[in-house]
Amino acid sequence: MGYINVSKDPEKSLKNGYLSTTLLGLGQTISVFAKQLFKLEESVTIQWPEVEYKYSERFKGAHFLTKRPDGQVRCTACFLCATNCPAQCINIVAGQAKDNGIEKYPVRFEIDILRCVFCGFCEEACPVDAIRLGPEYSMAGLPEQKWVYTKDYLLNRDEIKKQVGAKQVSKKEENTKDASVLSSLPNIHRHSGEGH
Amino acid sequence: MSETVTLTIDGKEVTVPKGTSIIEATEILGVEIPRFCWHPGLSVAGVCRFCMVKIEGMPKLQIACNTACTEGMKVITVSDEVKDAHKWALEFHLINHPLDCPICDQAGECELQNYYMKVGRYSSQMDEDKVLKPKALDVGDNLVLDTERCILCSRCVRFEDEVTKTSSLGIFNRGDHSVIGTFPNRKVQHNYSYNIVDICPVGAFTAKDFRFKCRVWFLNETKTICPGCSTGCNVTLYEHKNQRQYYRLKPRKNLEVNGHWMCDEGRTMYEHLNATNRLAAPIMQGKHLSWNLLSKELKQKLEKVKGNAAKVALVLTPQYTNEEYENILSSLNSILGGLPNIFVWRDSKEKFDDFDGILMRGDRNANSKGLAQTLEKKSAQAIPLSGDFSPLASANAELVIVFGPEIEKAYSQFATEVSRFAEMTNVVYFGTTLNPIAKKFSLTIPTKVFAEKNGTFVNFKGIPQKLKANPLVFPAMKGIEDIFAEMKA
Repeated sequence: MGYINVSKDPEKSLKNGYLSTTLLGLGQTISVFAKQLFKLEESVTIQWPEVEYKYSERFKGAHFLTKRPDGQVRCTACFLCATNCPAQCINIVAGQAKDNGIEKYPVRFEIDILRCVFCGFCEEACPVDAIRLGPEYSMAGLPEQKWVYTKDYLLNRDEIKKQVGAKQVSKKEENTKDASVLSSLPNIHRHSGEGH
Repeated sequence: MSETVTLTIDGKEVTVPKGTSIIEATEILGVEIPRFCWHPGLSVAGVCRFCMVKIEGMPKLQIACNTACTEGMKVITVSDEVKDAHKWALEFHLINHPLDCPICDQAGECELQNYYMKVGRYSSQMDEDKVLKPKALDVGDNLVLDTERCILCSRCVRFEDEVTKTSSLGIFNRGDHSVIGTFPNRKVQHNYSYNIVDICPVGAFTAKDFRFKCRVWFLNETKTICPGCSTGCNVTLYEHKNQRQYYRLKPRKNLEVNGHWMCDEGRTMYEHLNATNRLAAPIMQGKHLSWNLLSKELKQKLEKVKGNAAKVALVLTPQYTNEEYENILSSLNSILGGLPNIFVWRDSKEKFDDFDGILMRGDRNANSKGLAQTLEKKSAQAIPLSGDFSPLASANAELVIVFGPEIEKAYSQFATEVSRFAEMTNVVYFGTTLNPIAKKFSLTIPTKVFAEKNGTFVNFKGIPQKLKANPLVFPAMKGIEDIFAEMKA
């Protein structure tokens, strides 16, 4: 792409005249158009959505939650992401998990994506590598669509399975305790459901 | 102890009674010495070795909690040598401490975290694996114990031994494998168990009613008074910063009133404050009434019996503040042209003079004394209503104004007794809690709860104590004083 230096000095630009620079610019446009029309050079325009631009793998787009190797959600509902979030768009409700040394898990984990500013502070704050910003970037939608990402959506949506695949399983060293130290006393959890 | 000794701490002179420990002297001076096991309300154990200070003339550092002050002693708490000792002591404490902070309820108010930021900040040199210990043990009605997080300061053991005298906790095994726990087939089951959560410097003991509910850094603190009984413990009330939800109470130190503790019964005093359990708007004959029309309706009711104060019965409960009582009495006096018949509604089964030996008293009303004082001041005679409602029935009142209790638990027969009021005609009921009976009164008016009032409670000893108001849970709500002020206008 060519550039034309347009002086900010009013005297100079008057001397050069707006017309000449405008015409120069127009010439640039027409020449690029013509070259691309006759396939003399490759077009920089992407034919979205048929052609998708491939961003870097490290692109920070839509959030997803990682899983432990056993498929459970990695998040321990420590609220650090919600605390660190400048847009205050993360809403977590903590609950009692089954007693495996990691007693807490998020019963609800919601991101109000319309509030989110994609700063990545949540990912930064997370002590257990549970939340990441994924490679998805096309998040446009209709007003009637649900703009609050629920825990289920953050964990199990198809795009994440497709784009992140096995990388969704976080290989962080497990904090599980060996069975000999598990509590032998009766279970204190009021909801004796299946934790996750 | 009449004898005193004068010593110098960090160049500041302080005079203390003989027998005072150095750490107590620093408390007086406001010098902060890090500590885990020393607690002003418990005996000295000296097991955490964290409160090291340099005493001039002694070859080694000494612990401040178990060293008595002597005349002319020179103590240094800020030298590099002392700081180094604190750092090492902390590192020893953290050797087997798990990194549970994301899970642990204590995160944010944890002494280990605070001290690490204050005096620690080292890179760990520990190469061994952490010792694993039992986690999430159910050790009582209100407590969950995580022995892995415990740093063996023995505060809880001493609390059980000295304060409640129940001795249900102990330290078992030795060395690395020391764990805190209950004796076999025993649980911590007494009315003061949540204090153990408070004094635990780490997250070993967590409270079942607060567990995982909210992170502490989302909470606002308000210094107020517990309305649970006539002891009037000084408490801190914790409310979410969104001002919609109350989560817990914790005691504040006031040696005249409650020392360092409060009872579990008092800790439930946040439950009735939350919006889900509260009367939100006035109800008139079963239909909601807007706040703006309320004072007009109430005024109409009172105008009908104007100049006929004998035909009005005023039922008070000892759970309102002094200021509210004065307001009620003086306003009714001016509107009706005389004091109405005053009844004081009390629980029929209460054991007024009961005392559990620690804090809790049989009188479950925060302001019995204040009510009596206010009535005396206004030279009003009050007829007690306690299980026997015949005096009220024989008064043949055309209008009954009931200031119902805020803490309905204090009335053992609340449901049946309040329905007796509902049977009468033309009853104006002031209350806070949502209950089905509220629709049956001719006018039900929500009142502010203790957390939303500025006022005075007088405890059983006659000590007046100030409440501090939080923002209203229902912003439109008007207090008793507002309603009466509007009526006068």
